[in-house]
Amino acid sequence: MNKNNLDQKLRYNDGGNVHMDFHGATNTTIEFIINKYGIDTMNDIFKKVGNDVYKDIKDHIKKGNIKMLAKHWQHFFDRENADYNISINDEEIILTVNRCTAYDHVRKLVGNVSPNFCDQTIKTNEALAENTPYEIKTEILGEAACRQTIRKRA
Amino acid sequence: MIPSDHFTRFYNEVFKFLEDKGEEHLEAYWLEISKNQEKHTLELFKEKGLKGMYEYWDHIRIEENCDMDLKLDDEKLELRMNVCPSLSKVLDNDAEPMKRYCDHCAGWIGPLIDKVDHHLVYDVIDRNKPQCVVKIFKDKEKAIEEEKNAKLLMKWPGKK
Repeated sequence: MNKNNLDQKLRYNDGGNVHMDFHGATNTTIEFIINKYGIDTMNDIFKKVGNDVYKDIKDHIKKGNIKMLAKHWQHFFDRENADYNISINDEEIILTVNRCTAYDHVRKLVGNVSPNFCDQTIKTNEALAENTPYEIKTEILGEAACRQTIRKRA
Repeated sequence: MIPSDHFTRFYNEVFKFLEDKGEEHLEAYWLEISKNQEKHTLELFKEKGLKGMYEYWDHIRIEENCDMDLKLDDEKLELRMNVCPSLSKVLDNDAEPMKRYCDHCAGWIGPLIDKVDHHLVYDVIDRNKPQCVVKIFKDKEKAIEEEKNAKLLMKWPGKK
């Protein structure tokens, strides 16, 4: 794994203990919203997360600084003790999640994970990249595993 | 992955959507969250009563990094939230905070406490400040008396 030595601070730089059960609440929320309002509504909410909550990261991506996203990924996947690899250069970042602890935790907590659980990643990533020179591709590699790639649009 | 650290900001987006749909939509969601929380609290609360509630919130105090004082006596459990990490994160947010963010807490806790035949008095004090005082009583009359002291008393589905 290449170390990301970017000096700039993350907009949300959480520390302290990690409450993994929030992933269970995310799973419940996804099921509730999709059952009641449909998948497009759920995706719209994820889009708002990507555009509004993560506005700071999006602004960096617009300016060509994709390393802030790498820093975000590293910080939070480390905090949640996920098994991942990341390759970082100026043009492209590839995050390979071998074991997503969010997915794993929900599986242990409730038994069955929503088939749309990973949409939180896919749709939030899409919104982060929308109207920027970059695209973020999220490939699901299996249960609790994915590859997320940010690179310049062709 | 939306990190667990950022769940409350995601929650805030869900609340804003539901609030636009109408109060009953928001309440239906709180009840769903309450049902979800029952999985790891209902038996504990039924079996151990106030002591079980103390155990649950003491665990939350640590795991969610709350600045919170907990006081248990024979009659009641008192939670004094000095700095709520949930509202603090929602206020420290590039997205707009939902104005009634605090209401969700009574929205899921109230129905759960009703189910175990205890009585919740939820004083949010001020929706713009990350602090509140929650008191759970064994005795209904004592809870009703305590409600008179609340600055901003919360309601929930089933208690209007």
